[in-house]
Amino acid sequence: MKKHIIYTSIISLFLLLFLSCEKDDICVEESTPLLIIRFFDSTDPDTYKKVTNLKVQIEGIDGDYINETITVLTDSIAIPIKVTEDITRFKLILNGNDDDDTNDNEDIFDLNYIREEVFVSRSCGYKTLYYDVKTNLISDSDNWIKSIETAKDPQDILNQNSDHVKIFH
Amino acid sequence: MLSTAFSQEKAKDTVKYKDRYGFRVGIDIFQPVYSLFDEDTKGLEFVGDYRITKRFFIAAELGFSEATTKEDYFEFYTNGQYIKAGADFNAYKNWIGMENMIVVGLRYAFSTFDQTLNEYTINADPFLPNQTITTPVTYDTLNAQWIELVLGLKAEILHNVFMGFSFRWNTMISSKEPENFKNLYIPGFNKVYLNNNGFGFNYTISYLIPFYRKKF
Repeated sequence: MKKHIIYTSIISLFLLLFLSCEKDDICVEESTPLLIIRFFDSTDPDTYKKVTNLKVQIEGIDGDYINETITVLTDSIAIPIKVTEDITRFKLILNGNDDDDTNDNEDIFDLNYIREEVFVSRSCGYKTLYYDVKTNLISDSDNWIKSIETAKDPQDILNQNSDHVKIFH
Repeated sequence: MLSTAFSQEKAKDTVKYKDRYGFRVGIDIFQPVYSLFDEDTKGLEFVGDYRITKRFFIAAELGFSEATTKEDYFEFYTNGQYIKAGADFNAYKNWIGMENMIVVGLRYAFSTFDQTLNEYTINADPFLPNQTITTPVTYDTLNAQWIELVLGLKAEILHNVFMGFSFRWNTMISSKEPENFKNLYIPGFNKVYLNNNGFGFNYTISYLIPFYRKKF
Protein backbone atom coordinates (compact mmCIF):
# COMPACT_ATOMS: atom_id res chain seq x y z
CA MET A 1 0.00 0.00 0.00
CA LYS A 2 2.84 2.32 0.93
CA LYS A 3 4.36 1.72 -2.46
CA HIS A 4 1.13 2.67 -4.19
CA ILE A 5 1.20 5.99 -2.39
CA ILE A 6 4.76 6.56 -3.51
CA TYR A 7 4.00 5.68 -7.13
CA THR A 8 0.84 7.76 -7.17
CA SER A 9 2.72 10.75 -5.80
CA ILE A 10 5.53 10.32 -8.36
CA ILE A 11 3.04 10.29 -11.21
CA SER A 12 1.06 13.21 -9.76
CA LEU A 13 4.26 15.19 -9.42
CA PHE A 14 5.07 14.46 -13.02
CA LEU A 15 1.58 15.51 -14.09
CA LEU A 16 1.89 18.72 -12.11
CA LEU A 17 5.26 19.45 -13.70
CA PHE A 18 3.74 18.72 -17.10
CA LEU A 19 0.82 21.09 -16.63
CA SER A 20 2.48 23.87 -14.68
CA CYS A 21 5.09 24.60 -17.30
CA GLU A 22 3.88 27.88 -18.69
CA LYS A 23 4.33 29.18 -22.17
CA ASP A 24 7.38 31.45 -22.23
CA ASP A 25 5.29 34.09 -23.90
CA ILE A 26 6.46 37.28 -22.21
CA CYS A 27 9.11 39.05 -24.20
CA VAL A 28 11.81 40.11 -21.75
CA GLU A 29 14.77 40.36 -24.10
CA GLU A 30 15.55 43.55 -25.99
CA SER A 31 13.59 43.90 -29.22
CA THR A 32 14.33 46.44 -31.98
CA PRO A 33 16.39 49.24 -30.38
CA LEU A 34 15.21 52.85 -30.34
CA LEU A 35 17.44 55.70 -31.46
CA ILE A 36 18.96 57.43 -28.43
CA ILE A 37 19.70 61.12 -28.97
CA ARG A 38 21.50 63.30 -26.42
CA PHE A 39 21.37 67.09 -26.57
CA PHE A 40 24.54 69.10 -25.98
CA ASP A 41 25.36 72.77 -25.71
CA SER A 42 26.79 73.98 -29.02
CA THR A 43 28.99 76.52 -27.24
CA ASP A 44 30.26 73.99 -24.71
CA PRO A 45 30.18 70.58 -26.50
CA ASP A 46 30.84 68.53 -23.34
CA THR A 47 27.79 69.78 -21.46
CA TYR A 48 24.27 68.47 -21.76
CA LYS A 49 21.70 71.11 -22.67
CA LYS A 50 18.01 70.55 -22.25
CA VAL A 51 15.44 71.14 -24.97
CA THR A 52 12.13 72.81 -24.09
CA ASN A 53 8.75 71.40 -25.15
CA LEU A 54 10.16 69.20 -27.88
CA LYS A 55 7.79 67.61 -30.36
CA VAL A 56 8.93 64.60 -32.40
CA GLN A 57 7.45 63.60 -35.76
CA ILE A 58 8.52 61.07 -38.38
CA GLU A 59 7.97 61.91 -42.01
CA GLY A 60 5.23 59.87 -43.63
CA ILE A 61 3.66 59.00 -40.27
CA ASP A 62 0.62 60.78 -38.87
CA GLY A 63 0.76 62.21 -35.37
CA ASP A 64 3.44 63.01 -32.84
CA TYR A 65 5.67 60.38 -31.32
CA ILE A 66 5.20 60.41 -27.57
CA ASN A 67 6.98 58.45 -24.87
CA GLU A 68 8.30 58.96 -21.35
CA THR A 69 11.62 60.39 -22.61
CA ILE A 70 9.93 63.27 -24.44
CA THR A 71 9.07 65.67 -21.61
CA VAL A 72 8.83 69.43 -21.06
CA LEU A 73 12.55 69.59 -20.46
CA THR A 74 14.72 66.84 -21.82
CA ASP A 75 18.36 66.28 -22.71
CA SER A 76 17.90 62.72 -23.95
CA ILE A 77 15.23 61.06 -26.07
CA ALA A 78 14.54 57.56 -27.37
CA ILE A 79 12.61 57.36 -30.67
CA PRO A 80 11.86 54.58 -33.15
CA ILE A 81 13.64 54.06 -36.48
CA LYS A 82 11.88 52.65 -39.55
CA VAL A 83 12.23 48.90 -40.06
CA THR A 84 10.75 49.05 -43.57
CA GLU A 85 13.22 51.47 -45.17
CA ASP A 86 16.93 52.28 -45.00
CA ILE A 87 16.20 55.90 -44.21
CA THR A 88 14.10 57.67 -41.57
CA ARG A 89 13.39 61.40 -41.72
CA PHE A 90 12.84 62.95 -38.29
CA LYS A 91 11.27 66.31 -37.48
CA LEU A 92 12.29 67.78 -34.15
CA ILE A 93 10.15 70.79 -33.29
CA LEU A 94 11.52 73.08 -30.60
CA ASN A 95 8.74 74.56 -28.43
CA GLY A 96 6.31 72.46 -30.47
CA ASN A 97 4.60 71.03 -27.41
CA ASP A 98 3.45 74.32 -25.86
CA ASP A 99 0.28 76.26 -26.69
CA ASP A 100 2.14 79.02 -28.52
CA ASP A 101 2.50 78.16 -32.24
CA THR A 102 4.53 81.27 -33.08
CA ASN A 103 7.69 80.12 -31.28
CA ASP A 104 7.79 76.68 -33.00
CA ASN A 105 11.01 75.88 -34.84
CA GLU A 106 11.02 72.74 -36.99
CA ASP A 107 14.34 71.12 -37.89
CA ILE A 108 14.64 68.05 -40.06
CA PHE A 109 17.36 65.41 -40.20
CA ASP A 110 17.78 62.10 -42.01
CA LEU A 111 19.12 58.90 -40.56
CA ASN A 112 20.61 56.44 -43.08
CA TYR A 113 21.55 52.89 -42.17
CA ILE A 114 21.80 49.25 -43.24
CA ARG A 115 19.21 46.94 -41.68
CA GLU A 116 19.65 43.41 -40.40
CA GLU A 117 16.91 41.18 -39.00
CA VAL A 118 18.04 39.01 -36.10
CA PHE A 119 16.17 36.23 -34.31
CA VAL A 120 15.78 36.85 -30.58
CA SER A 121 13.48 34.25 -29.01
CA ARG A 122 10.11 32.52 -29.17
CA SER A 123 8.33 35.33 -27.36
CA CYS A 124 10.22 38.27 -28.90
CA GLY A 125 10.53 37.00 -32.47
CA TYR A 126 12.83 39.01 -34.74
CA LYS A 127 14.36 42.43 -34.15
CA THR A 128 16.02 44.85 -36.55
CA LEU A 129 19.55 46.08 -35.97
CA TYR A 130 20.96 49.13 -37.76
CA TYR A 131 24.52 49.28 -39.06
CA ASP A 132 26.72 52.05 -40.43
CA VAL A 133 24.39 54.81 -39.28
CA LYS A 134 24.81 58.28 -40.84
CA THR A 135 23.09 61.55 -39.97
CA ASN A 136 22.28 64.46 -42.26
CA LEU A 137 20.81 67.74 -41.04
CA ILE A 138 18.62 69.58 -43.56
CA SER A 139 19.55 73.23 -43.36
CA ASP A 140 16.86 75.91 -43.34
CA SER A 141 16.80 79.64 -42.70
CA ASP A 142 16.59 79.22 -38.95
CA ASN A 143 18.12 75.99 -37.63
CA TRP A 144 17.91 75.61 -33.84
CA ILE A 145 20.11 72.52 -34.27
CA LYS A 146 23.63 73.79 -34.93
CA SER A 147 25.12 70.41 -35.73
CA ILE A 148 24.40 66.72 -35.50
CA GLU A 149 26.74 63.76 -35.41
CA THR A 150 26.84 60.08 -34.48
CA ALA A 151 28.36 59.26 -31.09
CA LYS A 152 30.84 56.91 -32.73
CA ASP A 153 32.22 56.52 -36.21
CA PRO A 154 31.21 54.08 -37.54
CA GLN A 155 28.02 53.95 -35.53
CA ASP A 156 25.83 50.83 -35.18
CA ILE A 157 22.54 50.72 -33.30
CA LEU A 158 22.46 47.32 -31.60
CA ASN A 159 21.04 48.17 -28.19
CA GLN A 160 19.90 51.08 -26.02
CA ASN A 161 22.79 51.05 -23.58
CA SER A 162 24.28 54.34 -24.73
CA ASP A 163 23.53 57.30 -26.99
CA HIS A 164 23.81 56.93 -30.76
CA VAL A 165 23.40 60.50 -31.98
CA LYS A 166 24.54 63.83 -30.52
CA ILE A 167 22.68 67.03 -31.26
CA PHE A 168 24.34 70.37 -30.51
CA HIS A 169 22.09 73.39 -30.03
CA MET B 1 -0.62 -35.26 10.16
CA LEU B 2 2.94 -34.17 9.77
CA SER B 3 3.42 -36.16 6.64
CA THR B 4 0.32 -34.66 4.95
CA ALA B 5 1.49 -31.15 5.70
CA PHE B 6 4.83 -31.97 4.23
CA SER B 7 3.35 -33.47 1.10
CA GLN B 8 1.06 -30.47 0.64
CA GLU B 9 3.98 -28.14 0.86
CA LYS B 10 5.81 -30.21 -1.67
CA ALA B 11 2.83 -30.19 -4.02
CA LYS B 12 2.50 -26.40 -3.74
CA ASP B 13 6.14 -26.05 -4.62
CA THR B 14 5.72 -27.81 -7.93
CA VAL B 15 2.93 -25.46 -9.11
CA LYS B 16 5.01 -22.82 -10.78
CA TYR B 17 3.67 -19.96 -12.77
CA LYS B 18 5.90 -18.97 -15.62
CA ASP B 19 6.10 -15.40 -16.87
CA ARG B 20 5.75 -14.74 -20.56
CA TYR B 21 8.72 -13.32 -22.38
CA GLY B 22 8.39 -11.84 -25.81
CA PHE B 23 8.13 -8.92 -28.09
CA ARG B 24 5.42 -6.35 -27.48
CA VAL B 25 4.52 -4.04 -30.34
CA GLY B 26 2.04 -1.20 -30.37
CA ILE B 27 0.90 2.17 -31.55
CA ASP B 28 0.24 5.53 -29.94
CA ILE B 29 -3.41 6.55 -30.23
CA PHE B 30 -3.09 9.87 -28.42
CA GLN B 31 -1.61 11.87 -31.32
CA PRO B 32 -4.13 10.71 -33.99
CA VAL B 33 -7.03 11.56 -31.65
CA TYR B 34 -5.42 14.87 -30.70
CA SER B 35 -5.06 15.72 -34.41
CA LEU B 36 -8.83 15.53 -34.82
CA PHE B 37 -9.14 18.56 -32.55
CA ASP B 38 -5.92 20.35 -33.45
CA GLU B 39 -5.18 20.33 -37.16
CA ASP B 40 -1.78 21.98 -36.61
CA THR B 41 -0.13 18.77 -35.43
CA LYS B 42 -0.01 15.37 -37.05
CA GLY B 43 2.01 12.31 -36.18
CA LEU B 44 2.29 8.60 -35.79
CA GLU B 45 4.33 6.63 -33.29
CA PHE B 46 5.08 2.92 -33.06
CA VAL B 47 6.25 1.47 -29.77
CA GLY B 48 7.93 -1.81 -28.94
CA ASP B 49 9.60 -3.54 -26.06
CA TYR B 50 11.35 -6.82 -25.43
CA ARG B 51 11.54 -8.41 -22.01
CA ILE B 52 15.02 -9.42 -20.95
CA THR B 53 14.65 -10.14 -17.23
CA LYS B 54 11.78 -10.29 -14.78
CA ARG B 55 11.75 -6.54 -14.37
CA PHE B 56 13.75 -5.08 -17.25
CA PHE B 57 12.63 -4.48 -20.82
CA ILE B 58 14.48 -3.08 -23.82
CA ALA B 59 12.16 -0.43 -25.22
CA ALA B 60 11.98 1.79 -28.28
CA GLU B 61 9.72 4.23 -30.07
CA LEU B 62 9.76 5.17 -33.72
CA GLY B 63 7.68 7.98 -35.12
CA PHE B 64 7.21 10.92 -37.38
CA SER B 65 5.40 14.18 -36.85
CA GLU B 66 4.61 17.49 -38.45
CA ALA B 67 3.47 20.59 -36.64
CA THR B 68 2.68 24.21 -37.35
CA THR B 69 3.46 26.51 -34.44
CA LYS B 70 2.01 30.02 -34.23
CA GLU B 71 3.75 32.52 -32.02
CA ASP B 72 3.09 36.23 -31.48
CA TYR B 73 5.64 37.39 -34.05
CA PHE B 74 6.12 34.38 -36.34
CA GLU B 75 4.77 31.08 -37.57
CA PHE B 76 6.75 27.98 -38.49
CA TYR B 77 6.26 24.42 -39.67
CA THR B 78 8.29 21.44 -38.48
CA ASN B 79 8.46 18.10 -40.26
CA GLY B 80 10.57 15.11 -39.29
CA GLN B 81 11.07 11.70 -37.74
CA TYR B 82 12.59 10.30 -34.58
CA ILE B 83 13.80 7.17 -32.87
CA LYS B 84 14.00 6.58 -29.13
CA ALA B 85 15.74 3.60 -27.57
CA GLY B 86 16.39 2.60 -23.98
CA ALA B 87 15.06 0.49 -21.16
CA ASP B 88 11.97 0.19 -18.99
CA PHE B 89 11.96 -1.00 -15.42
CA ASN B 90 8.76 -2.47 -14.00
CA ALA B 91 8.35 -1.00 -10.53
CA TYR B 92 5.13 -2.85 -9.90
CA LYS B 93 5.11 -6.12 -7.95
CA ASN B 94 2.50 -8.20 -9.71
CA TRP B 95 0.34 -10.85 -8.20
CA ILE B 96 1.04 -14.24 -9.68
CA GLY B 97 -0.27 -14.44 -13.21
CA MET B 98 -0.48 -10.68 -13.78
CA GLU B 99 1.85 -8.71 -15.97
CA ASN B 100 0.93 -5.10 -15.34
CA MET B 101 3.58 -2.43 -15.18
CA ILE B 102 4.47 0.78 -13.49
CA VAL B 103 7.06 1.92 -15.97
CA VAL B 104 10.15 3.85 -15.00
CA GLY B 105 12.32 4.22 -18.05
CA LEU B 106 15.10 6.03 -19.78
CA ARG B 107 15.58 6.73 -23.48
CA TYR B 108 18.17 8.13 -25.80
CA ALA B 109 16.38 9.90 -28.65
CA PHE B 110 17.46 11.21 -32.02
CA SER B 111 15.48 13.20 -34.55
CA THR B 112 16.10 14.55 -38.02
CA PHE B 113 13.81 17.27 -39.33
CA ASP B 114 13.21 20.42 -41.39
CA GLN B 115 11.96 23.78 -40.13
CA THR B 116 10.10 26.19 -42.39
CA LEU B 117 9.66 29.73 -41.20
CA ASN B 118 6.34 30.59 -42.88
CA GLU B 119 6.26 34.25 -41.92
CA TYR B 120 7.48 36.71 -39.33
CA THR B 121 6.87 40.27 -38.22
CA ILE B 122 9.64 42.44 -36.84
CA ASN B 123 9.15 43.20 -33.16
CA ALA B 124 9.49 46.98 -33.19
CA ASP B 125 7.78 50.11 -31.90
CA PRO B 126 4.13 50.07 -33.11
CA PHE B 127 4.29 53.80 -34.01
CA LEU B 128 6.00 52.93 -37.30
CA PRO B 129 4.73 50.57 -40.04
CA ASN B 130 5.36 46.88 -39.43
CA GLN B 131 7.67 44.77 -41.51
CA THR B 132 6.09 41.38 -42.23
CA ILE B 133 7.99 38.84 -44.31
CA THR B 134 5.74 36.20 -45.84
CA THR B 135 8.26 34.43 -48.05
CA PRO B 136 8.82 31.01 -46.45
CA VAL B 137 12.38 30.05 -45.57
CA THR B 138 13.22 26.34 -45.15
CA TYR B 139 16.05 25.12 -42.97
CA ASP B 140 16.63 21.45 -43.79
CA THR B 141 18.77 18.56 -42.52
CA LEU B 142 18.56 19.67 -38.90
CA ASN B 143 18.89 17.20 -36.05
CA ALA B 144 18.73 16.88 -32.29
CA GLN B 145 19.49 14.32 -29.63
CA TRP B 146 18.13 14.16 -26.13
CA ILE B 147 17.44 12.00 -23.06
CA GLU B 148 13.93 11.11 -21.90
CA LEU B 149 12.80 10.08 -18.45
CA VAL B 150 9.70 7.92 -18.75
CA LEU B 151 6.98 7.35 -16.15
CA GLY B 152 3.92 5.37 -17.04
CA LEU B 153 1.46 2.57 -16.55
CA LYS B 154 0.72 -0.48 -18.63
CA ALA B 155 -2.08 -2.99 -18.02
CA GLU B 156 -3.19 -6.15 -19.78
CA ILE B 157 -6.79 -5.49 -20.75
CA LEU B 158 -7.34 -8.57 -22.90
CA HIS B 159 -5.22 -11.66 -23.36
CA ASN B 160 -1.91 -10.39 -24.79
CA VAL B 161 -3.34 -6.88 -25.37
CA PHE B 162 -1.93 -4.06 -23.29
CA MET B 163 -3.06 -0.50 -22.84
CA GLY B 164 -0.86 2.12 -21.28
CA PHE B 165 0.22 5.68 -21.07
CA SER B 166 3.47 7.44 -20.30
CA PHE B 167 4.72 10.89 -19.45
CA ARG B 168 8.12 11.92 -20.67
CA TRP B 169 10.44 14.60 -19.46
CA ASN B 170 12.99 15.46 -22.14
CA THR B 171 16.30 17.18 -21.74
CA MET B 172 18.39 18.15 -24.74
CA ILE B 173 21.93 16.91 -25.25
CA SER B 174 22.65 18.78 -28.47
CA SER B 175 20.94 20.10 -31.56
CA LYS B 176 21.88 21.46 -34.95
CA GLU B 177 20.24 24.87 -34.96
CA PRO B 178 19.12 26.79 -38.05
CA GLU B 179 20.92 30.01 -38.85
CA ASN B 180 19.16 33.09 -37.47
CA PHE B 181 16.32 30.95 -36.10
CA LYS B 182 15.94 28.33 -33.36
CA ASN B 183 14.58 24.79 -33.06
CA LEU B 184 11.49 25.64 -31.03
CA TYR B 185 9.70 22.42 -31.90
CA ILE B 186 11.37 19.08 -32.53
CA PRO B 187 9.57 15.88 -33.64
CA GLY B 188 9.40 13.52 -30.66
CA PHE B 189 10.65 16.19 -28.26
CA ASN B 190 7.71 18.53 -28.86
CA LYS B 191 7.89 22.15 -27.74
CA VAL B 192 11.40 23.18 -26.73
CA TYR B 193 11.21 25.32 -23.61
CA LEU B 194 13.69 28.06 -22.72
CA ASN B 195 15.84 25.77 -20.55
CA ASN B 196 15.99 23.20 -23.41
CA ASN B 197 13.55 20.88 -21.69
CA GLY B 198 10.41 19.35 -23.11
CA PHE B 199 7.49 17.15 -22.25
CA GLY B 200 5.84 14.25 -23.97
CA PHE B 201 2.88 11.98 -23.56
CA ASN B 202 1.65 8.87 -25.29
CA TYR B 203 -1.27 6.49 -24.90
CA THR B 204 -0.54 3.13 -26.42
CA ILE B 205 -2.29 -0.06 -27.37
CA SER B 206 0.12 -2.94 -27.82
CA TYR B 207 0.12 -6.64 -28.48
CA LEU B 208 2.43 -9.15 -26.85
CA ILE B 209 3.90 -11.85 -29.06
CA PRO B 210 5.10 -14.41 -26.48
CA PHE B 211 8.31 -16.19 -27.43
CA TYR B 212 8.80 -18.39 -24.38
CA ARG B 213 7.85 -18.76 -20.74
CA LYS B 214 10.30 -18.60 -17.93
CA LYS B 215 10.03 -19.29 -14.23
CA PHE B 216 10.67 -16.19 -12.17
